[in-house]
Amino acid sequence: MSEATPESHPAEPPEAPASRPTGARPADHEAIERLASELLPALAARLAASGLGEIELREGSWKVRLRRPSNARGAPDAGRRAADRPSRAQPGHEGHGHAPGALEGHRSARSSQAAHSGNGSGPLPVVAVGPGRGSADAPSERRGAVDTHRAVATSPAVGIFQPRAEIRPGARVRGGDRIGAVDMLGVPQEVVAPADGIVAQILVEPGETVEYGQDLVAIELMTQAGASGRPGGGAD
Amino acid sequence: MFEKILIANRGEIALRILRACRAMGIEAVVAYSEADRDSLPVQLADEAICIGPADARRSYLSAPAVISAAVVTGCDAIHPGYGFLSEDDAFAEVVRAHDLTFIGPPPAVLERFGSKEGTRRLLATHGLPTIPGSGMLRDDLHALEEADRIGYPVLIKPSAGGGGKGMRMVRSPRELESALKVCRSEAKAAFGDDSLYLERWLEDNRHVEVQVAIDRYGRGVHLGERDCSVQRRHQKILEEAPTPALSAAARTELAETALRAVVAAGYENVGTLEFLVDANGEAWFIEINCRIQVEHPVTEMLTGIDLVTTQIRIAAGEPLGFSQADVTFRGHAIEFRINAEDADHDFRPSAGLVERYVVPGGPGVRMDSHLYAGYEVPPFYDSLLAKLIVWGPDRATAIERSKGALDELLVEGLVTNIPIHQALLSSDAFLEGRMTTNLLDRVGSAAFLAAATRA
Repeated sequence: MSEATPESHPAEPPEAPASRPTGARPADHEAIERLASELLPALAARLAASGLGEIELREGSWKVRLRRPSNARGAPDAGRRAADRPSRAQPGHEGHGHAPGALEGHRSARSSQAAHSGNGSGPLPVVAVGPGRGSADAPSERRGAVDTHRAVATSPAVGIFQPRAEIRPGARVRGGDRIGAVDMLGVPQEVVAPADGIVAQILVEPGETVEYGQDLVAIELMTQAGASGRPGGGAD
Repeated sequence: MFEKILIANRGEIALRILRACRAMGIEAVVAYSEADRDSLPVQLADEAICIGPADARRSYLSAPAVISAAVVTGCDAIHPGYGFLSEDDAFAEVVRAHDLTFIGPPPAVLERFGSKEGTRRLLATHGLPTIPGSGMLRDDLHALEEADRIGYPVLIKPSAGGGGKGMRMVRSPRELESALKVCRSEAKAAFGDDSLYLERWLEDNRHVEVQVAIDRYGRGVHLGERDCSVQRRHQKILEEAPTPALSAAARTELAETALRAVVAAGYENVGTLEFLVDANGEAWFIEINCRIQVEHPVTEMLTGIDLVTTQIRIAAGEPLGFSQADVTFRGHAIEFRINAEDADHDFRPSAGLVERYVVPGGPGVRMDSHLYAGYEVPPFYDSLLAKLIVWGPDRATAIERSKGALDELLVEGLVTNIPIHQALLSSDAFLEGRMTTNLLDRVGSAAFLAAATRA
C-alpha cells in the first residue's frame, strides 16, 4: 500500500486519472478521512523514524507524499535539496473529482500536526527519533523498517536503553509516542513509536547497551482492514 | 597498558589501528557509521558498534556518540586515527573527563599546538626557521595589509583543517580580494569555520616533513623525513623517503633541528613537522600535525618501527624504550595513495561496487587497504581506497618494484587514480627527483597523464 523513495526527486508527471465508477465519491471521502486521521500521523512518524528523504503513500486513487526538510539529513547531497520545504502532504494528481482546495488545506493541517507529534515540541520531525537511514543503505538492510503489519522502533543513539514503564507487550501506542529513551552519556535520547499499533515485543532488556539503529520495540500495526491490530498475525 | 581500545575511525586507518591492537594483545572495538556496516574493519574487529548514521557529523565527528560507545563497551582508551576528531583538543579533554585516554597528545599539548600561527611563533622561539605568515585574518582590509607585509605571492589557508580545501595562491591584491570570499565559503563548508590566514608562497617549493616520537618524559627521537611534493591541488598523492631534495647531511640537520625545537616546546606523542623547502634547499617550518599521518608507513618501511604501537605506548605513559642511536634508515620507500577518482573528469570521486580486487605482492610490497571484492564503497567519505607502499634497497629499485606492483594492482568497478601513478613513474620530473608541489597543477594533471601515455 505504500512505497518509500530513498531520495527526493522532481515532482512526477501527472498520472492518468484512475478509472473508477461514478458512484465512488462517498467511498473516496471515507478513504480521505481515514487517510488524514490515521495514516498521515503514522506516515509522518515513519518518515521521522527512518532516514528517508521522502515517503509516498498510495491508496485507492489517492496518493500522499511527505518530504523531509533538507537540513534533516546530513548526506553530502543535502545541499541539492535546499529548496525543499518542511514536511508536507502533497495532494495526488488523481483526485480530480473533488474540491482540491479544501482538501489540500485539511491535509496540510493534519500532516504538520502529525509531524510535530514526532518529537514533542520541535518544528521538525527528525530530532532523536531514529536512525538516519541514508540512501546508501544496502537494500538488504531493512532492520527497523515498517512492513505492512509490523514496525520496529529503533535506537536513536549508542547508549543504555530504558523503556517507559507502561510500555509492555499488549500496550497500545500512537505513532510519535515516546516509548523509552537511550541514555547517551547521561543525556536521554527519545525512542519514538514509528506508527500506531500494539506493542508486540520489547527486544532489548531495560538497562542494556544498544547501538545506533538497533531494533528496540516491535509494534504490531493497526491494519487498514479495521481490525485494530491483529497481535501476532501476519508479521513475518 | 590499555586493555581495550575504541577505534573511532573508518577505512584503512581503522584496519591499521586494529592490527596494531592485535600485535599488542589489546582488545579493540570498531565504532562505525551505518554506511560502514559492511566494511572490512567492522568484519574483522573483535567487537563493533554502530554509533550513528552515514553523516559524519552524527557519527565519526560526534564526540558524545564516540565517547558513549567507548563507555558502554568498556574501553579505556580511544584512538581517533587521522581526520575526524584526531586533533580536536576539546574532544580530547572530554575524553579525559570520562576517565578515558585519548591516544594522541594530551589535551593541553593539543591546545598549545592548536593554532597554526601560535605554533609558528612558539617554534620560532625554539630556533626553527618559520615561513612568514599572518595571524587570523579579521577582514579584507586586514588581509590586504598582511599580504603587503608578507609580500606577494601569498597562500590563503583556512585556520581549521587541512587537505587543500579553502586554499588559494594569489599574486596581487586584486586576486586576494576576490579569492578571500571563495576561500571563506569553502572553509566554512569543509570545516564549519571560515577563519583564514596567509602564508608566503614559495615558488617551486618541495614539501618535506619530519616524523618525531616523544614520550611523556621528554625523551624523543626523530624518524627521519618524508617527501610529499607530489600533490594535486594541495592534496598529497605520493610520498617517499628519503627526500631526493636534500643531501644526507641536510636531512639529518633538518630532522635534528625539528626534534630539538618540539621537545623544547613540550610536545608529546607522535607528530609531524611540515616544512617547505625552497629552490635553494632552505627549509621553512609551516605547521605541525598532532596525529598519526596517512603516509606513516613510508617511515615504518625505512626504520622498521611500528608508529601506531609506538603512539599507543606513549599515550599509555610508557617510556619510548629506544634512543636515536637505535633508529636506522634502510633503503627507499614510496607510498602511492590509491584514490577513487576519475582523472578524465576533473578527478571527481567515484563510489560503488568493487567487482574485482587483486593485491600486488613480492619483496618490499605492502598494501594498507580496507577493500575487498564485493565491497560497496560508500559515497560519504574521502576517496582513499588503499595505500600501496613499496620498499627497495635504493630509489631505483623501489621505482622498478613500484611499476610492477601498480601493474598487478587491480580494482575493477571503480575509476581509480592508478594511471596517474604510472604516469609519474615514467616522468622525467619524478625519476630525476624534481617534483615540486605545484608541478602537477601547473602542467595540468590531465595533460601530465596524456604526455606520459604518448611517451
